[in-house]
Amino acid sequence: MQQLRLNFEKSTWIYLVIASLLFILPFMMSGRSIMFLVMQIFIFGIFAMSYDLLLGYTGIVSFGHAMFFGIGAYSIAIVFDLNEPTMFYLIVGVLIAVLLAAIVSFVVGILTLRLKSHFYAMLTLALAGLFLVAAEKWRSVTGGADGFTISVPEFFKDRTNLYLVCLIVMVLFFFGLRRFTNSPLGRVLMAIRENEGRTESLGYKVLHYKVIVSVVSGVVASIAGVLYMLSLRFVDTSVFATEVTLDALLMTIIGGVGTLVGPIIGAALIEFAHHWLSDLSDVHWIFERWIILFGAVYILAVIFFPKGIAGTIQELYRKKRKKRQDNKEIKSEDKMAG
Amino acid sequence: MDLFFSLTVNGLATGMLIFLLAAGLTLIFGLMDVLNFAHGGLFVWGAFSGVWVYDLTGSFWLGIVGAIITGLILGAIIEYLIIRPVYGNHVQQILITLGLMLVLSELIKVVFGPDQKAATAPEYLQGSFMVGDVILIKYRLFIILVGFIVFGVTSLILKRTRIGLIVRAGVMNKEMVQTLGVNIRLVFMLVFMVGAAMAALGGMLMAPYSGVIYAEMGLEFGILAFIVVVIGGMGSFSGSLLAAILVGLAQAYMAYYVPALSLAVNMLLMTVVLIFRPQGLFRVGVK
Repeated sequence: MQQLRLNFEKSTWIYLVIASLLFILPFMMSGRSIMFLVMQIFIFGIFAMSYDLLLGYTGIVSFGHAMFFGIGAYSIAIVFDLNEPTMFYLIVGVLIAVLLAAIVSFVVGILTLRLKSHFYAMLTLALAGLFLVAAEKWRSVTGGADGFTISVPEFFKDRTNLYLVCLIVMVLFFFGLRRFTNSPLGRVLMAIRENEGRTESLGYKVLHYKVIVSVVSGVVASIAGVLYMLSLRFVDTSVFATEVTLDALLMTIIGGVGTLVGPIIGAALIEFAHHWLSDLSDVHWIFERWIILFGAVYILAVIFFPKGIAGTIQELYRKKRKKRQDNKEIKSEDKMAG
Repeated sequence: MDLFFSLTVNGLATGMLIFLLAAGLTLIFGLMDVLNFAHGGLFVWGAFSGVWVYDLTGSFWLGIVGAIITGLILGAIIEYLIIRPVYGNHVQQILITLGLMLVLSELIKVVFGPDQKAATAPEYLQGSFMVGDVILIKYRLFIILVGFIVFGVTSLILKRTRIGLIVRAGVMNKEMVQTLGVNIRLVFMLVFMVGAAMAALGGMLMAPYSGVIYAEMGLEFGILAFIVVVIGGMGSFSGSLLAAILVGLAQAYMAYYVPALSLAVNMLLMTVVLIFRPQGLFRVGVK
């Protein structure tokens, strides 16, 4: 037990060191585009973490996660559009985003989470489609497919500030969600993933827990949407597109399902790859179609490395540690015998 | 009245295209318990390869044959390489077939170029008949006809032949069929190939109907096909025909009478069916 706690702290330290390195990054380098890229990684890292709560921790496949992302982006954008872009309305916008996401995820969850995995996946795909259609048709508020530009509070016009805010939010969510997944509630979620029927017969109300996790996940995703809007200062219907969900899916699977670092690693990989491989399209046109590469990696990952990067590393580490421990035990036994 | 009539013909034609896609999907699900999210990808591949052959040879029929052959080959490869490793694991199946869908639609852009492609019906299928004051567009009637022929032939195969018997028995209880000495894996592959070929045929027929084909239409039609499969009941062949017609008609009428709802009507339909009757309207089998 002692050993376990010590190791937890060790990994926490590693994460904190990385976070503080990222903290000083904007003061070390001035490349605007690279900073924007890293910011996108934070935002999609948050989004992918929220997706992993469903996919990796509870074993729910949702194809409609983009709807919460879009709800976040549109709530804040519309609040700023109708009012002055001040810090007060930022808070109002965030509250509205969180509230809406919570309500929608609650209602959707109550109605659909009792369905089997196939049906749930399809239904969420369709519901996200409905949101996309609604955003396109409700032109007076959403500006239709063209979207609209908005001004943000002064504070966020400075790239460094925005960068730091995104980083802080990501770090907070990372540790918060780690706490959440390590809590008794998180353990029940993992039990549902491993064996739903058994969890149910042990007396847990599975639907109840699934709804809770979908609300948490929806709220976190909506915050990612808010940050996304703040970073782009523009919103259009593409925030509801299936591609957004697919991105989260790729990030989670490649980075590592069932871990919280995994989605962030995945987000970094995909955003960087997207950035660089698109640049390479001058060299050869195949790089324009970088998604093929990722699709192939993704398929191979699902078949051969279902744990992704982070999961595989963790497993290796755990194995090594176990070996070391075994060796130690053998040695001490030898000593005793000697 | 003639307006209503032509809307109906429209809806039927769209319904038949969706049926071709959904029929394979529902059989694959019923028999193999695999929900193939990449089915729309096969639809696009059928469309592009068929139009390519059609352009090359100038023969529409050769184009159809080309699309079907593409569907069969792709179906065999996909079943063997992608689906086989993940039998029995639903979450992995969903994830992997979705990834496949991405790859298939991006590959379209690599092989056939990223632009939209235009396609026209051959001359003898262009134009329209006049019956009284009702205009019947030939190509739409042709699609409806093909849809019914495919439905008829497949139903006959399912009901009258030994292989059809095995497939129907497999949908009900595949372990039992296996115990009786049937190589169910082979049947799986065959059904997957036929399903893929039907999707490819649907894509090819779709091309002159809409005039243009593009890589993204796979996902759009894929979603419609899912809706149909859900409404019709997973694994029910005739259910998928009825549901496809229902969806096609609903879309055609709504597009005219309530345009704002036309995109949403089918999703609403599916939502209602899933919530109140998740087994679908025409469920078969005992699962």
